[in-house]
Amino acid sequence: MAESASYTEKLKRWDRFKAEKFSKKAPVTTPYPFIDIEKPPEYRGIPHINPEKCIGCGACVNACPPDALIMEWDKEHGVKRLTYNAARCIRCARCIEVCPTGAMEPTTRFEVATDNKEDLVEVVEHKLAYCEECGEYLDFTERQIEYVRNILPKDVFDAYALEDRIKLTQEEKMRRTVIKLRETEGNVYPAFMLVRETKDDGGEE
Amino acid sequence: MGRLKSVWVYHVDAGSCNGCDIEVLDVLSPYYDLERLGVKIVPNPRHADVLFITGPLTRQTRIMIRKAYEAMPPKPRIVVAIGTCASSGGIFYNSYALYNTSPQRGRDRLRSGGPEMVVPIDMYIPGCPPSPEEILYGVAQLLGIKEKKMKGEYWIALPPAEEPGRENEIKFRIPDRPIPLRYWLTLREELRRVVGYYDRDAVLNDFIELVGKAYEEAPDNPEEKLHDLITGYFLKEKDSRVKVAMRFLENEFWRLVREYREWGEALREKYPVTAGV
Repeated sequence: MAESASYTEKLKRWDRFKAEKFSKKAPVTTPYPFIDIEKPPEYRGIPHINPEKCIGCGACVNACPPDALIMEWDKEHGVKRLTYNAARCIRCARCIEVCPTGAMEPTTRFEVATDNKEDLVEVVEHKLAYCEECGEYLDFTERQIEYVRNILPKDVFDAYALEDRIKLTQEEKMRRTVIKLRETEGNVYPAFMLVRETKDDGGEE
Repeated sequence: MGRLKSVWVYHVDAGSCNGCDIEVLDVLSPYYDLERLGVKIVPNPRHADVLFITGPLTRQTRIMIRKAYEAMPPKPRIVVAIGTCASSGGIFYNSYALYNTSPQRGRDRLRSGGPEMVVPIDMYIPGCPPSPEEILYGVAQLLGIKEKKMKGEYWIALPPAEEPGRENEIKFRIPDRPIPLRYWLTLREELRRVVGYYDRDAVLNDFIELVGKAYEEAPDNPEEKLHDLITGYFLKEKDSRVKVAMRFLENEFWRLVREYREWGEALREKYPVTAGV
């Protein structure tokens, strides 16, 4: 049996009298702007990106209806930036629902009014993985690769030799597959030579 | 602005869905009572110090907004944008009906859009709609009662092996859980069918705690032990939705365990030598 308070108890913990600091009897009007209060735990405040857990996969960007979350690509410097702007956010919590790491955290923050829109921007900058063979940055981040390493079991990595190929671009992977196929078929000639030979033979005949 | 005079407000709708308008009415109700701060709604922009704008600025309303703004007395002329639509165009930001002249059609860093296309805005109150407390907070901030709490943030998410050097660099961390990551991910995804996002994480955390306990206390027969633990959990728990979710999770968990074991054996049969294929 779990030692912590039961789930319904956790939900009921919020109390208006405690939150608004009354002792016994509350007047009708809330004393809010003159004191600090808290919203109930299920209140949908603006979400917050936890940069410790975020892997930069962009699932939240796909799910966001008003494009409050946008992914900015910078392949020259090898970074991609996940920018969140609370001025566009409608608090639908779809990003929280789809986040595969739990990095999108719901909060009860409601004091977001500001005179400068710069205050509402939250940016997480991710480093892209680098392909040594091609000298190009990949589409995904190093954190994503690490996360995949943790998801897939070791057997699968060994069976498909994924460890060697995980940091390669798509073109390099295809090139290696072709090379491997040629080796297994026992052909010593490259493909373009083979094609020319057959074509020449056909012409002579 | 100082507290020399009561603030008179003119409220104008720039094509909103009326959600924010209702919240503005709520703020004037006895519970939130904006009028005790001296704020009074006036029916004419010529008497007003502050303009409340709700809505994403449709093309039809932009001339009226401009006219209302110019009709206000020139001295304070404060504009408050109430709601996500008025702050940035909101969910309608790229609609055909909106007046939006921002360079990237509202997809820039600051998400430009809404009434800021025609009038300068002094206070943004985002929210869809903003709850009455949020509007109270925005007005209180204008009056100097409350301080600004939001701050722009720029994090640099470091790759797994690197250590943080500067203040805004954050190390990567995958939380420790008693079950493997793929089980956690699959269970979390399956649980979406039963409960919503808010309950989901709490229920799943309780469940994996029980799983860890079951494997610790009875490594020989965790299936029965987990069943007992969950039955014990039900005695304490009164919410029937949570009970359903827990039973669902138990069935899903053992199904996954069996399935992954079968796959592993099939894989081992197919590739008996595991040294690169």
